[in-house]
Amino acid sequence: MIGTARNDSYAPPPGHRVFADFCDGRTAVVHRVDVEIIDGHPAAALCLTLVDETRLRWPLSAIRSIPDQAGRGQLVITSEDTPLARLTLSDTETIAVLRARCAHLGRRPPVRGRLRLLGWSLAALSSVALIVFVLVPVMADQLAEFLPPEGEKALGDTTFEQIRTALSGSKINPVMVCDNDGGAAALARMQSRLEGEADLPYPLTVHVLDHKIANAFALPGGRVVLFRGLIDAAEHPDEVAAVLAHEIGHVVNRDPARGALRSAGSIGVLGLIFGDFAGGAAVLFMVERLIEATYSQKAEAEADSFAHRSLAGAGMSPQALAALFERLRAEYGDSDGFVAHFMAHPSLGNRIDAAREAESLRTGPIRPSLGEQDWQELRGICRRRPA
Amino acid sequence: MALTGLQTEYVGTKGRLFRLALGSSILTVLTLGIYRFWMKTRLRRFYWSAIRPGGQPLEYVGEPLEKLLGFLIAVVFLAFYIGIVNLVLMFLSFSLFQGNYAAYLLSFVGVIPIVFYARYRARRYILARTRWRGLRFGLEPGAWGYAARAFLHWGLTILTLGLLWPRMTFFLEKYRTDRTYYGSERFFQGGTWQMLYRPFRPLLIGIVIIGGGVVTGYAGAILPALLTGAAGVLLAFYGLAHYRVHSFRLLTNAKTLGEIGFVARPSPWRVIRIYCFGHLIVGLLMSVFVTALLVAFGGMAAVVIGANGQFDPIEWSAMLPFWLNTLVAVLVYFTIFVSWGVLRHVFVTLPLARHYAETLEITGGHHVNNIVQRDRDDFTEAEGLAEALDLGAAI
Repeated sequence: MIGTARNDSYAPPPGHRVFADFCDGRTAVVHRVDVEIIDGHPAAALCLTLVDETRLRWPLSAIRSIPDQAGRGQLVITSEDTPLARLTLSDTETIAVLRARCAHLGRRPPVRGRLRLLGWSLAALSSVALIVFVLVPVMADQLAEFLPPEGEKALGDTTFEQIRTALSGSKINPVMVCDNDGGAAALARMQSRLEGEADLPYPLTVHVLDHKIANAFALPGGRVVLFRGLIDAAEHPDEVAAVLAHEIGHVVNRDPARGALRSAGSIGVLGLIFGDFAGGAAVLFMVERLIEATYSQKAEAEADSFAHRSLAGAGMSPQALAALFERLRAEYGDSDGFVAHFMAHPSLGNRIDAAREAESLRTGPIRPSLGEQDWQELRGICRRRPA
Repeated sequence: MALTGLQTEYVGTKGRLFRLALGSSILTVLTLGIYRFWMKTRLRRFYWSAIRPGGQPLEYVGEPLEKLLGFLIAVVFLAFYIGIVNLVLMFLSFSLFQGNYAAYLLSFVGVIPIVFYARYRARRYILARTRWRGLRFGLEPGAWGYAARAFLHWGLTILTLGLLWPRMTFFLEKYRTDRTYYGSERFFQGGTWQMLYRPFRPLLIGIVIIGGGVVTGYAGAILPALLTGAAGVLLAFYGLAHYRVHSFRLLTNAKTLGEIGFVARPSPWRVIRIYCFGHLIVGLLMSVFVTALLVAFGGMAAVVIGANGQFDPIEWSAMLPFWLNTLVAVLVYFTIFVSWGVLRHVFVTLPLARHYAETLEITGGHHVNNIVQRDRDDFTEAEGLAEALDLGAAI
């Protein structure tokens, strides 16, 4: 646009001399120079005349402006051929003419070293990918084996408090732990029936958190957390028992300790890339992921098969797991909370089938995980005791 | 002397800076942070060109892409350090101490020398890309030497409960200054470290009074302890600004560049006023923006739900679709993030730069003409390490 709006008719009024400040980029001397636009051959140029009558020609097409300057009513320019030189103009008329006639005034110097930039971009991406997806998981898996039980419990306790705070959004008033007497007793009965196969270096602790999401997760050090929303969504106590058995399976395989160590390594690396601007968001995102606890498909399959065995061994139907998955999918659609978490694994159909097949593991008669009264107590575990 | 004294003008205006900072902050958000290298470059061009010693603007000639390159190089090395070291520290800390505080502490202490190293390198990059009257500034390499000295000085300062703080201020400034060049000419830091004890006194007295308050508190006199403590905190707060401003003044006045000298006259009260009023305005404007956003959200919620009952945002947000809640949360987060950064530039950083610039005078200005150009310092890594470690987030 600027290039087409030429103003060839401009000529300075006779006797009107325009001065500007000129630095040649070799010494710190500021030269007061006389400037003049001359339409000559081979091309129109800006002529600078120094005090000692030295004349410099800057072809208009070679003139570049210096961007983002704070000074008002001024234009700082340089020439492509002498990039260290600077000319500071204050004369409004000359500035207007230069803006109209210098076709490449806003052109930036060519980018050098594109290949090097590309190379380092790839190097940075692959080093981060290598660390987050290979090195950190491998090391976390190895180290989790060596984590002493007390250390693992401490890790779980810290994470548990972080999650309670993150879910309520306030440190003062974290999400309530439901523990009214009847409900807790019913939960303990369910837990003891499933614990048979678990061989743990620490006692298993099961909590119910007063939150509407239909989900459950396991934490390091033998903590399993169920949300009230899950108990509300279940139609039969065995469905809750099935989820509990699945999470106990994660605890037995020490998946949560691995996950926690992994995220300790990954959070910092991700924060590094996004800088302070999204650092806070990245940390939040990672806490979310901790709750979602997306373990590897293998870990999920192993937790499932643990659940099948312990359900069957305790005289419950492994099909309860399949029933809950199917109903939640029907109820919430494919893109919400609990189901989305499981949908992320392409093998949900397989998992439902596997739960059906595991039915053959059961030898004795079916005994529901809880009696009707205990089931009602468990459903009311978040009810506060009357004062 | 008055004949050759060069006063410094300041020509930056709040309106231009606001537009520049706002536009580039929004682009930074939209590009997931990548534009921040361009934003930093453009803001520096503005800030530098606003400062005009002797009427001639400073110029910042750094390029965004070299910053991006430096950052990528730093990521390659730091990702290993942060990923693996944090993982191992977390493991050790939970195995041995049953808590994560030991890991945080160790990882913090481990990163301190790198921080000093990164600061020095960032300074070298910035000086290498700063020009005045066509000549480059420069800083000699020496980042490890700086990191080692800074680590030792900090250790000494902590061991002496802060009594040797002025000594640290002086010697670290001398290390940096004596390696700084303007064109062919080298800067020199004169003066002695003892000269910084005079401006250090208010801060010291404030800390002593706070200590007195604590002792009184332990002795059981709660009200006098609280009053003493409050007085001590106020004095220490003033003392910190007093020390910062006057140590800067004394150090600047003791610097020379060949035959050229400097006279700085910043005022601690002025600096405190800019900080306090600036942040007050920033806070007020930010709360206005966020309130406006929430009111707009409330209006949308009312339309979506058709609610005409009581104003209860929590109840409403529970009834709204998930995506709308997420959108509002993201908008509020970035409104806070962007407006905080932009308004701080306009109401704090710019007035401070103006004050420090306008109170600076260069003596013996005619000697400047004898200085000639220095070679370009290529410096591939730019300030990547400092950028990756989030140091000097302002500009």
